[in-house]
Amino acid sequence: MIAIDQLCYHSKLRYENPGEKFAFAGITLCICVISRTIEVSSVVLAAAGILTVWKGGVPVSRYLRFLTVPLAFLLLSSLAIFLRVKEAPLDLFALPLGRWYLTASRDSLAYVARLVFTAMGSVSCLYFLSFTTPMPDLLEVLARLHCPALLRELMLLIYRFIFILLRTASAIATSQRCRLGNKDYRTSLKSFGLLGSALMIRAVARSGRLYDAMEARCYDGRIRVLSESRPPRKSVIAWIAVFDTALFFFALWRKFCG
Amino acid sequence: MRKNEKRILAAAAALALAFGAAPNVSAMHIMEGYLPGGFCVAWGVLCLPFLAAGFFSIRRALEQRRNLITLLAMSGAFIFVISSLKIPSVSGSCSHMTGTGLGAILFGPSAVSILGLIVLLFQALLLAHGGLTTIGANTFSMAIAGPFVSWGIYRLCQKTKLNRRASIFLAAALGDFCTYCVTSLQMALAHHEDATIGGAFAEFLAVFAPTQLPLAVIEGILTVLIVMGLETYAKPELRAIGFLKEAK
Repeated sequence: MIAIDQLCYHSKLRYENPGEKFAFAGITLCICVISRTIEVSSVVLAAAGILTVWKGGVPVSRYLRFLTVPLAFLLLSSLAIFLRVKEAPLDLFALPLGRWYLTASRDSLAYVARLVFTAMGSVSCLYFLSFTTPMPDLLEVLARLHCPALLRELMLLIYRFIFILLRTASAIATSQRCRLGNKDYRTSLKSFGLLGSALMIRAVARSGRLYDAMEARCYDGRIRVLSESRPPRKSVIAWIAVFDTALFFFALWRKFCG
Repeated sequence: MRKNEKRILAAAAALALAFGAAPNVSAMHIMEGYLPGGFCVAWGVLCLPFLAAGFFSIRRALEQRRNLITLLAMSGAFIFVISSLKIPSVSGSCSHMTGTGLGAILFGPSAVSILGLIVLLFQALLLAHGGLTTIGANTFSMAIAGPFVSWGIYRLCQKTKLNRRASIFLAAALGDFCTYCVTSLQMALAHHEDATIGGAFAEFLAVFAPTQLPLAVIEGILTVLIVMGLETYAKPELRAIGFLKEAK
């Protein structure tokens, strides 16, 4: 139902220690975001992409399709940074609009290029984490990081309920389609409203029953989930440390000497 | 009721047609890596007081009534699901609600800030909308600014005895609009290369307007439809989440 969730359970890196994966993704992401250079981002994009696809076994075509998800945002916001409406034309190009020019400068082109590369590099880090690590494993990491127990509890429950509600919603949507609930725009708006309210009613009713069921099974404010991952391995930690240190110095070098 | 419903739907269809086709858009999540490090931290810190307030209010509520936890979690899941469903749009492209305006009207803004943070984290990890480094900025615009504005407008309209549906519409649509403005401002503050901040702000507003303005209107209409449906069929459930209590 949620493609990324299914893919991460099938990943070949699924049983690696989640702390390792989190550390790799997190540190690399920070270096990428702070350095903001094309070279560092390309290295990150390549490394995280290769790890996800080759080591993790995510199909290349699906990975590429996921990389296009943020493109709409990227395109629109880059346009906003890139294009200027001014009285005097800038050096890259200029389209006259009456007395004004729709124009752009070379500097802003370079700026946008750097931004796009940084963003894609960071997205690949995020994808590495979400394509290899199931949510319950991440909660384990959050527990190590002293995230409050109440938050983790809520996250675990919400994670579970999302799938229940998605299934309900898709069943309702199917039956609405069967009854021509989307035959024109007005009907489909109305159907969506009905779907939303029916979903809310189901959710509230269900949450009451669920609490009763949990209480009957001795719920005391904590849901314990068996950890399914391996303990951390020294060699992997060493590799992560080597890669991120190298990346860090590369970023420093590009920043100050490049 | 019936007649009113029809009128709302007609207005919606007309507006949607007037705005024309919206391309593939979700609510405006700032993508991963788009903001420089300093801005990520700054927006995150700015969120902290609101999140802390939300956290304590949730904890206090749970101390009194422990069984609220499943209801809270269901509400969070509801916000996630409603924002991940494709809403009807004229051109067949897909766009999504934010759902936080609805959440603020139903559950109150402080609970929505925490639920919104969790929902945004899940959206980043499960749907690839938004990101981990930009979660502070996104939380501020979607889970704090939007809901607080929605809730404020909703309460204000109640005080002034405005038509109930109009007030829900205004709350949801303006909350969405506020989210869009705050996100534009966040991006303008971070990326205003050679222009002034004001100029960059205007540009971001202009570029995202064709997708976000119709979305705000549709979000308002859908929120009205959902709340109307709930009021018709689910009085006891609404009482359970303390919605009708304050309405009367």
